[in-house]
Amino acid sequence: MSSASATARISLTSLRAHKRRFAGTFAAVLLGVAFLTGTLVMGDTLRTSFDSMFAGATSGTDAVVRSADTITTPGQSQGVRGPVDADLATRVAQVPGVAAAEADIQGPGQLVGADGEPIGGQGPPTLAGNWIKDTRLNPYRLAEGRAPERGGEVVVNRGAAATGGLTIGDSTVLRTPDPVRVTIVGLATFGGADGMAQTTFTGMTRADAEKYLTPQPGEAASIQVRAAPGTGQQELVDALTPVLPKGVEAITGEAATTENTDMISGQFLDLFTTFLLVFSGVALLVATFSIHNTFAIVVAQRTRENALLRALGAARGQVVGAALAEAAVVAVVASAAGLLGGIGVAAGLQALFPAIGFPFPEGELVISALSLGLPLAVGIVVCLGSALLPAVRAGRTAPLAALRETAVDQSGTARGRTVAGLALALIALGTTLAGVLVTPSIWLAGTGAVLALAAFVVLGPAASTAVLRVLTRPLARTRGVPGGLAGRNALRSPRRTAATASALMIGVAVVALFTVFGASLKATMNQTVDRSFAGDVAISAPSFGAGGSGLSPELAGKVAELPEVESAVGLGRGVAEVDGAGRQLTVTDPVALARGLDLGSVRGDLAALGTDGLALSAPEAERRGLALGDRTRLAFTDGTQESFTVRAVYAQPELAGDYVLTREAWAPHRGQDSDSVVAVTFKDGVDTASGEAAVEETAAAYGNPEVQTREEYAQSSAGGIDMMLTLVYAMLALAVLIALLGIANTLTLAVHERTRELGLLRAVGQTRAQLRAMVRWESVLVAAFGTAGGLALGGFLGWVLVQASQGTGDSDFAFAVPPAQLAVVALVGLAAGALAGWRPARRAARLDVLRAIATE
Amino acid sequence: MNTAHTAARVVDAVKVYGSGDTEVRALDGVTVGFPAGRFTAIMGPSGSGKSTLMHCAAGLDALTSGSAAIGGTELSSLDDRRLTVLRRDRVGFVFQAFNLLPTLTVAENITLPLDLAGARADAEWIDALVDVVGLRDRLHHRPSELSGGQQQRVAVARAFASRPDVVFADEPTGNLDSRSGAEVLGLLARAVRRMDRTVVMVTHDPVAAAHADEVVFLADGRLVDRMPEPTAERVLDRMKALDGPRAEADIPEHHTQGVPS
Repeated sequence: MSSASATARISLTSLRAHKRRFAGTFAAVLLGVAFLTGTLVMGDTLRTSFDSMFAGATSGTDAVVRSADTITTPGQSQGVRGPVDADLATRVAQVPGVAAAEADIQGPGQLVGADGEPIGGQGPPTLAGNWIKDTRLNPYRLAEGRAPERGGEVVVNRGAAATGGLTIGDSTVLRTPDPVRVTIVGLATFGGADGMAQTTFTGMTRADAEKYLTPQPGEAASIQVRAAPGTGQQELVDALTPVLPKGVEAITGEAATTENTDMISGQFLDLFTTFLLVFSGVALLVATFSIHNTFAIVVAQRTRENALLRALGAARGQVVGAALAEAAVVAVVASAAGLLGGIGVAAGLQALFPAIGFPFPEGELVISALSLGLPLAVGIVVCLGSALLPAVRAGRTAPLAALRETAVDQSGTARGRTVAGLALALIALGTTLAGVLVTPSIWLAGTGAVLALAAFVVLGPAASTAVLRVLTRPLARTRGVPGGLAGRNALRSPRRTAATASALMIGVAVVALFTVFGASLKATMNQTVDRSFAGDVAISAPSFGAGGSGLSPELAGKVAELPEVESAVGLGRGVAEVDGAGRQLTVTDPVALARGLDLGSVRGDLAALGTDGLALSAPEAERRGLALGDRTRLAFTDGTQESFTVRAVYAQPELAGDYVLTREAWAPHRGQDSDSVVAVTFKDGVDTASGEAAVEETAAAYGNPEVQTREEYAQSSAGGIDMMLTLVYAMLALAVLIALLGIANTLTLAVHERTRELGLLRAVGQTRAQLRAMVRWESVLVAAFGTAGGLALGGFLGWVLVQASQGTGDSDFAFAVPPAQLAVVALVGLAAGALAGWRPARRAARLDVLRAIATE
Repeated sequence: MNTAHTAARVVDAVKVYGSGDTEVRALDGVTVGFPAGRFTAIMGPSGSGKSTLMHCAAGLDALTSGSAAIGGTELSSLDDRRLTVLRRDRVGFVFQAFNLLPTLTVAENITLPLDLAGARADAEWIDALVDVVGLRDRLHHRPSELSGGQQQRVAVARAFASRPDVVFADEPTGNLDSRSGAEVLGLLARAVRRMDRTVVMVTHDPVAAAHADEVVFLADGRLVDRMPEPTAERVLDRMKALDGPRAEADIPEHHTQGVPS
């Protein structure tokens, strides 16, 4: 028998003999790899489906004519593009090589569903446009009913109709944002699907579109052009370009499609995939700790076996090789199973998504070489990497160890490690504080955070001894011998306990980090509303991303006329370029604004802005070195530039933004008007409830936007945070599950190596229930230590993140620690510990007393 | 023999391991009582069933047929929990090795059965025990800091801590040198004679058996003889006779662990 095959045979027989020991490792690798594979496969599948959907929908469009000017403000994924003259379509149609050209008029349009609630608006755009008659230029296809012919008739995409419970013949309201009464006469599909992802679309007659969707008739978002047979797309663009006016460009249909798919793939899908990848990374990191721990214990338990091998003449390398070969078998088998699991998860989600109303485009799963190779490689590297150190340690076993008493891992806390950990902690703290307080730098703070994590792991054994001593005392008092023994057992091998707890610690730390950060965001919003919102109620159209249509600009005026109302001011949004960078503008009545919002101290005169003046926030004025009376140039989407005089400077930009313009100044450059919020102040003596009722009645005619008190307004701004947190918790559940498997596995191994002790305890009178309690309490103690460490680390990192965010904005970022939520996290950690101990406890209790005391 | 004076006994005890071709009758109809206030040794060659007898009499193992009782309590009628509680409150154990929990101190090991019961230890009694075993200056040490003999003395103290009806000792000196062994045997004997306790000891060592008040001999799962007031020479002779031709090879055995024995 060659030495290599001897090594292989030893590891295989040992694997077969100790299948249970590796069950936890197997599960950890499998889950991590499955998560990673599922993410990659789903991302690829979605991307391919969207691409083919867009390609199919817009295949009839050979060129797009549009404004060349676009302004992108920070934080927006899509730039704001100026309009083109709709009549340009007629001129384009006469260019040789053009078969058809149609103006595409677009604007925001949010449908109200049968239940009176608006459809969509939580992310993807809600659009309205003219129903293009040339079926090959129109990306939407009529699936049922007919095209709109008379005013008030519309076609909606089938997905939106289904969401809102609308069918052909129904009459509803379209917020453009002015409420328009419409009747549905047709349902449409996009590229074979019920819609363009979650985007809603309402197609109306061209006359209606011009009337409701653009500030003035004759403006279009773009001109869609179809080539005559025999004319190529580039040829068409070359023919069109000379006849186009200045500031208008033509691009090929293919380029336009690519832009659109890039927008969805590049923005939404990449974000989605990155988000999932981060969490599979966390899961795999946790898995690494669990796996390393398992191998370390197994190697320690096998000291005698390995020593015997060495005594019989096995070389050090052969012992290391056998241990690594064992890890490799587990790695390959578990990773392969994880790959299958991940593909299964992706297939399951593809089937599940449509059922929960998310149109997962149909089509085959796309499984690329990367989504197979990467998870497989990661799984194997994680598993082998975790086993490396224990394997090397196995190789160092002295042949004499075979003669000693049963060798158990009795590693204490190395002083050197503690000192190194403390030094690391100090460096981490210093780096973080420097990055947060001295010279704000996200990189320094991030490095500090990673170092802090490392310090926690290195300090684990020392910390576990200290913390568990404290925790054991009350446990021994209240739970008697089982409690006391549980504590002593957890204290036996600080390194093992710490390694087991580390996995859970990382999971809990990430949970705590997001919990603290989320609570801080909410507190910040509360603080902002508290400080800057001077009104009694706010009317708002809650929306995220590009969704929602905002509020009709008429609404503020109508509400202001109510007898209960002292003042009502609407805040519109505009964009302009300042010094080459896009900026959000607040378009409003500046005098009324000062009543609805608290702007802080105001220098200059808000009433004197006129059409050539603007008001500036103090931080922005400082950044740009502008003072009262200075002039600054703004470039608008229509290609014009204008110079404005700074006539007022206000201190608080939280709700008002950095630039305030009057409606008159904005009017020449505007797109479609809409307000994002209306701040309403009641007259003295009007109580909030009756005032709110009056405002609600008026608002009902405008598509029923939400009327909120100050508190509700602050909370609704925070609604998105809760949604994000829920998602984050769901993603982290996997990491916590892997950590629990790790605890359960360590306990199973511990029970195995303490067989004789357990037998003795049973012989001298420990009941099964007491024995189960003992193992479970040990599990709870380890979990408690991990949870406590996680909460401390997560809280610290949350503080770092908040402070780092503080440096990036003007407004004060509040730091909040939510005690209730963190208490829930702690309880979940403890309960999880009890759960993890359940199976090992049962196994321990089933031990046969005689065999236990007879075990060598 | 009167039940009131019998600390433990088995009647028609049969214990069968395995079935068919591999069937082994470790006990084959043994009836024996262990009188209260006496020190009884169980002897027999390897495979005679002496350890099985002790395990079944102590409630660590169940008989295939027949009955076993501690005091007046029939063991077969008890479920696992009651059996455990009975062991905890009414039986003491001294095993050959690994008698102590490494995480507990000497004092905690001694009171372990009482602590498991949630009972308050009788301080005077424990104090007296600690003095008898001579471990007062070691009370707060861990077992790993004690010699083998000291560890067995702690085990003896633990066995008597709850004033059990009977203490079972399974080769208590098997891992000790002769001086430490003699000390432990002396302790067991003193507990019986001065404190009126009951001890049943399984051993293969005639010298150890000589410390007992009476020796019962087992061979092939049956009770073959009883010997009051034993001496080492007489016990050795009896064993030789029992073993016949095999005796020389078997007597100095050092390992009677394993099932069945």
